[in-house]
Amino acid sequence: MSRGWRMAMVATLVVVLVIALTPYLWLIMTSLKSRIDALADQPVWLFTPTFDHYPKVFIDKDYLPLLWNSVVVASTTTLLSLVVGVPAAYVFARHDFAAKEDLFFFFTTRMAPPISVVVPMFLLFSYIGLIDTRTSLILAHSTFNLSLVVWMMRGFFADIPREIDEAAQMDGHSRAGMFLRVLLPLAAPGMAATAVLCFMLSWNEFLYALILVAFEGRTLTVGIPGLVTPHGTLWGQVAAVAVVATVPIIVFTVIVQKHLVRGLTFGAIKG
Amino acid sequence: MTVKESGVAGWLVDRGVAPVFLAPSLILLVVLLVGPFVYMVGISFTDLSYALPNHDGNFVGFDNYRRLMRDDPIFWSSFATTLGFVAATVSIESLAGLGLALLLFHHIKRRRFVLTLLLIPMMLAPVAVGLMWKLMLQGEFGMLTHYLRVVGLLGAQTAPLSTLSLVMPTIVLIDAWEWTPFVTLVLLAGMLSLPREPFEAAIMDGAGPLRIFRDITMPLLRTIIALVLLLRGIDAFKEFDKVFILTGGGPGIATELLSIYTWRINFREWDLGYGAVVAFMVYLVVLILCSVFHKAIYWTEARETRR
Amino acid sequence: MIKADSVALRRWRGAAALALGIAMMAPAAPEAGAWTLEEAAAPYRGVTIRTIGESLPPLEALAKMKAKFEARTGIKVVVEMYEHSEAVNKVMLDLNSRRGRYDFILQPHRELGRFVTNGHLVSIDKFMNDPKLRDPSFKPEEVLYQRLWKEISWYAGKPYGFPFTALTMYLWYRADLLNDPKERAGFKAKYGYDMVVPSTWRQYTDLAEWFYRPEKGFYGTAIQGKRHEALWYEWLNFLYSFGGDMMDVKSGSECGPIIVNSPEAVASLEYYKSLIKYSPSDTLNYFWDDAMAVMQQGKVFEVIMWNDSTYAVEDPKVSTVSGRMGFDLIPQGKGGKVGQVEGWTYLIPKYSKNQEAAFLFIQWMMAYDQQLEQHMNGGASARPDVYAAPQVRAIPYSKASMDTNAVAIAKPTIPESPQITDILVRELSEALSGSKTPKQALDRAAVDMHKLLGDCAPMRYPAE
Repeated sequence: MSRGWRMAMVATLVVVLVIALTPYLWLIMTSLKSRIDALADQPVWLFTPTFDHYPKVFIDKDYLPLLWNSVVVASTTTLLSLVVGVPAAYVFARHDFAAKEDLFFFFTTRMAPPISVVVPMFLLFSYIGLIDTRTSLILAHSTFNLSLVVWMMRGFFADIPREIDEAAQMDGHSRAGMFLRVLLPLAAPGMAATAVLCFMLSWNEFLYALILVAFEGRTLTVGIPGLVTPHGTLWGQVAAVAVVATVPIIVFTVIVQKHLVRGLTFGAIKG
Repeated sequence: MTVKESGVAGWLVDRGVAPVFLAPSLILLVVLLVGPFVYMVGISFTDLSYALPNHDGNFVGFDNYRRLMRDDPIFWSSFATTLGFVAATVSIESLAGLGLALLLFHHIKRRRFVLTLLLIPMMLAPVAVGLMWKLMLQGEFGMLTHYLRVVGLLGAQTAPLSTLSLVMPTIVLIDAWEWTPFVTLVLLAGMLSLPREPFEAAIMDGAGPLRIFRDITMPLLRTIIALVLLLRGIDAFKEFDKVFILTGGGPGIATELLSIYTWRINFREWDLGYGAVVAFMVYLVVLILCSVFHKAIYWTEARETRR
Repeated sequence: MIKADSVALRRWRGAAALALGIAMMAPAAPEAGAWTLEEAAAPYRGVTIRTIGESLPPLEALAKMKAKFEARTGIKVVVEMYEHSEAVNKVMLDLNSRRGRYDFILQPHRELGRFVTNGHLVSIDKFMNDPKLRDPSFKPEEVLYQRLWKEISWYAGKPYGFPFTALTMYLWYRADLLNDPKERAGFKAKYGYDMVVPSTWRQYTDLAEWFYRPEKGFYGTAIQGKRHEALWYEWLNFLYSFGGDMMDVKSGSECGPIIVNSPEAVASLEYYKSLIKYSPSDTLNYFWDDAMAVMQQGKVFEVIMWNDSTYAVEDPKVSTVSGRMGFDLIPQGKGGKVGQVEGWTYLIPKYSKNQEAAFLFIQWMMAYDQQLEQHMNGGASARPDVYAAPQVRAIPYSKASMDTNAVAIAKPTIPESPQITDILVRELSEALSGSKTPKQALDRAAVDMHKLLGDCAPMRYPAE
């Protein structure tokens, strides 16, 4: 490749990175700007940062419970999905039976548009009195997280050679024992990656939260539009909430980057 | 391929574990998804409404379905808008994603690091993405509006989210900003997993880069490309969060995607009977499009393996 | 003999005087301290009541005042504040889930019909007729604006609450600029007449055009063009002023012929649309907050805005133009002097677990002292005696408020009212964005309204 060509490529990449990262940078900056700086006619790049917005929204406006709800919901749904989904994934990876492919397809709730899923869920939860509880959100999130766990873990289990199974059984383990004591530890890295992805999906989720929880169970994501108040949108505070809502996920992304492709394509591609 | 134990005992043990392991997840899905879904289809035959009195869920037969087919131009316009959105975003994202993947594959050394940075847009909560862009595109103090006006790409008194002709393209571009990294990631992973031999053979035969791309890279990547198109297509159909925050469906009904329209009928008008039909229809549309695509991929894959 | 008669007479007169005295005292006895708030609230001491409303000055004032009630009764009051649509939506959710989260609610009156017909509310009579709860010195039939009370808190002949706010919209303008000699000279030179507070739409347009200086970041006006209730509210001013209406009825609880696509209505929408060119570029994403914000920041000359936001534009802590504003009736068109009846009303849901405590709080808030205090802090009272108070008369915008209230036109409160609003919001938004002409939009709205309401609302002007 000629030098000029090479430089052009790098330059393109730099432009792409700028486009990709500037908006988020602007958001972080807005969360640190005073109201005057944020609403100035000319965009302000150099300014004296103020950390006011964070305590104002999380403490004065009482947004800490929302943060806590997000943490609880995401953790619980991850746990639930793993406990229920990992064994199921194992079955799909190791067993052959007639309805296997169709059943696996059934687990493809990825196709169901959330809005179609949430309408009946809303009616059901209203009927049994679960509306506006964290539980309703945990259950709702578990529907897509379960799907993710099954798809991902099937791939991870399939990666473990069957010889290991046979060896463990020759060592005297029962089937269940082999699963618990031999396979699970081997699949642990995959499980960790899956867990992080489940957590992320739940943390970022908006639609179910918007409809199923109104007060008690509110998570951080639905708290964001709630800051559009009659005293003008408080952009500093809104940005602060958005930053807190996004930073953990970025950290997690870096951790699971290796397994991201598998996770995002729901196990279809190994990456 | 199954680990077979000997005799009847083996059969029992085999069967024994599987149901126990599968049952909890099946139960969960049936209770949370199938059950409510059936219930919703049931509601679609009633007049249930939280808004109007005496609409407690009396049976009305196919009235709601007739209304959807004949009497709801907004649903169909919504459908068209969504299809347009899906087509535009998937095309732009595939092309840009492919280009980026090729760039990273051929010309960049520190791929992992660059990729991590590039992935940030798609990791942000979509609500936050909507908010971020709303801030930047605001008519008076938006950073992006300002610079677009400075370079003359935007009229001094035009705001992208308030202008009929600009609002949909703006939304499409924002979606492309968010999801092109996804396409890049998957295609790059695909490229990295391709076998070396065909490429080496082609180079030895003296084929140029364009020829290699067209005749070797693309065919080998075909399945993965199809999968990415499918995944992005499905997700684009489900789009809600960003658009809800950015425009709420407006101006007028210019950005009223199907998901937003469904939300509006069910949770603003509280017309739950009719809303059930709309929700059901949206699901059917996605299911049909998916199945068609899915079967096409399987069929192509099967054809490839048979070759 | 006379002596004996005198004594008898005196005794008789004495007895008569005593009897008369007792008879005169008897009705006075209950008023002389028999009912007190503390006594009535005693059984509910320690209870917490929760309410929800719109986060605007009137509710903020209430939130500051509730401490006094809490101190006197031991009943704690929690106030949740949200933006308009959210406040409405959350109440719908709570009522339909029957969870009784809110012990009393504040809602725009167009929701009343829907709540009553779906059986969600308790009539306020239940408490007004209870001597243990009713404060005899509070006589709503005497101390409230009767027409307003009937329009916004009564449905099908029964009262469900009391007005929390008596809202209306009127003209806000920059009086300092209007009186500036340089501006006056320039305006007269261009338009041929002296700058005046606009009383015709022609003048309104001229002023908007004169003050439209985007290169300096100053605009003639700002319309609330977002696809939101604000759009409907704002357009109603133009609709009424041009001599139109939504339905041809006398009061809000009636269903009648649809006239929302009359020639007058179409003309009003065309005029309304013409104001976009004098507004900021994002005006189609503005609702009342944004209109208020641009006025507070001194970026616009005239807008049509709410009486319950006026406090915020006159507050020097948040507004750069306080003290420089002028207020008046909206310009007059074919319809003459007009305004709109609007208000949020106190209501008690059937599922509330603390209805009596809630009622006591509401009744306390409706007393003269509280109403005066709330009004002085940004409220919009529905009591004439509050408006007669000297400190209220001194507020710069009181006159505009009262004048407009006097000519206000009622809007629908039938159960379908919220849906009528949504239909109109959608069509108005489409007309403003340019995807439909005003006539097409209003025709479509009329057709959809007719489908919604049925035969009681025929379309007087057929759609094309």
